[in-house]
Amino acid sequence: MKQARRSNAKAGRGKSFGEIRARADEGNAVVMTAMEFKEYVRANGAGKAAKEVDIVTTGTFGAMCSSGAYFNVGHSDPPMKIQKAWLDGVPAYAGLAAVDLFLGATELDETNNMTHGGAHVIEDLVRGKAVRLRATAHGTDCYPLREMDTYVSLKTMNQAVLMSPRNAYQNYVAATNSSGKTLYTYMGKLLPEFGNATYSCAGELSPLLNDPYYRTIGIGSRIFLGGGEGFVVWEGTQFNPGVARTPRGVPKRPAGSLALMGDLKQMDPEYVKGLTFTRYGSSLGIGIGVPVPVVDENMANACSVTNDKIVTGLFDYAQQRRARPVLRDVTYEELNSGEIEVKGKAVPTSSLSSLYKAMRICEVLKERIVKGKFKMTEPVEKLPLDRPLVTLDVRTEKEAMK
Amino acid sequence: MKSKLVLSFNPEASNLPITHNLIAKHGLLVNILRAEIDEVGGKMVIEVSGKPEGIKEGIGYLKESGVGVRPIKEGVRRDDEVCTHCGACVSVCPTKALTVDPETKKIVFNEEKCVACGVCIDACPPRAMEILI
Ligand code: SF4
Ligand code: SF4
Repeated sequence: MKQARRSNAKAGRGKSFGEIRARADEGNAVVMTAMEFKEYVRANGAGKAAKEVDIVTTGTFGAMCSSGAYFNVGHSDPPMKIQKAWLDGVPAYAGLAAVDLFLGATELDETNNMTHGGAHVIEDLVRGKAVRLRATAHGTDCYPLREMDTYVSLKTMNQAVLMSPRNAYQNYVAATNSSGKTLYTYMGKLLPEFGNATYSCAGELSPLLNDPYYRTIGIGSRIFLGGGEGFVVWEGTQFNPGVARTPRGVPKRPAGSLALMGDLKQMDPEYVKGLTFTRYGSSLGIGIGVPVPVVDENMANACSVTNDKIVTGLFDYAQQRRARPVLRDVTYEELNSGEIEVKGKAVPTSSLSSLYKAMRICEVLKERIVKGKFKMTEPVEKLPLDRPLVTLDVRTEKEAMK
Repeated sequence: MKSKLVLSFNPEASNLPITHNLIAKHGLLVNILRAEIDEVGGKMVIEVSGKPEGIKEGIGYLKESGVGVRPIKEGVRRDDEVCTHCGACVSVCPTKALTVDPETKKIVFNEEKCVACGVCIDACPPRAMEILI
């Protein structure tokens, strides 16, 4: 097996996903974290890495606003077709049959202090806490109950599933503020007069930046999600693979993203965190890890990408427009150095995504694969490379149908 | 010896010449790091340097005058269970009390450098930073 694989790789044919998975099943796969793999390629070259290494584990932990969870809370007696529902004061969407609820991460507590939202409720549930469920209904002949006030927890629910339309963005922007006042944004607290800059991407550790053309990550990929296991279920919303790329193919702006699902009951509060962005609202901090199979030298090259080769745009959030002009392009190496230059000024930087946790996830995922606890799956469908990104504009009915 | 203190004042104590007395009577060097005092009292973060006895006496004098005195370590606290080591606080801290460890990428909180300005409190997404004064 080993021999055959080596000679295949030598002949430039690479190794198939199936071969890599079989080796992993036998406990023979060579698995490296993204950090280790980049070092390995630096020392030995991509050719050798393609032959010797089977799997690279990637990871990210950050605020992912387009996240949510659905629950089936079970039927009451008498039964109820829930019309409106609140979990710890946060409205959950109940327009799904009788007792299925969807809770969005950025939905805010109705007391409107903007500091408590769906993301915090999701974290509390993962922590094993009970949350208060209040529900109202019109009452029907088949579902007569009109009001309910009770407590639920992951133990009392039939299904509790994280379902996020857009996570694990492939690259994200960096933000700063030219205005004279502090701005409170989803990119954090931006101090006046270019007082700081923030960014939100794990750079070289980030899953989709290690597979820039989605060769191995696709629909059906099993992933590390919030400490448990989940799957890539679709392209993420706002999927935009057509942005400008570096000569190596790495997108220079937010590009692809992933829609993900996983069982909330398996998750660990270490990797599922309710976050508050002051005067913006809540968001969910979630840990994601994706194993990337090194099928050939191209893939080895892709996974060897380092922060000095990954670029993003720095934008001025004082410009309250959809299309903000870019102030400059900046590499993740510069951003991670703690200081960048903007208009001749040294501006301190902050990462909003936890590189510490991203590294942890790479390590934990590696360990799970090596121990045979995590089984990689081959995608059943590829993510698209030709998806245009459209905008929302005021238009007539006719224009909307063109 | 140097010591960083958080002082809290009621309205009466706000009018006392406490910095003058610390300097003149107790032979201390006083560096005012931050002050927020108005008619209803307020707080002040100072760094005093001098002989250990002088600092001890100075603190005694402040307490006698009705000024609340606490070491800075009790002024701002990070809940390490809550911190995700994201780094959102790093670029807003004016004194570089919050920095990234280059190896582990953990965010290190150096309480010695903190002046209890409070800027990081609402910048921390999981609300790990807490101001106690
Ligand atoms: S309160 Fe926060 S921002 Fe202010 S000095 Fe201390 S650590 Fe830095
Ligand atoms: S912003 Fe909060 S969570 Fe992030 S590193 Fe600082 S203290 Fe920790």
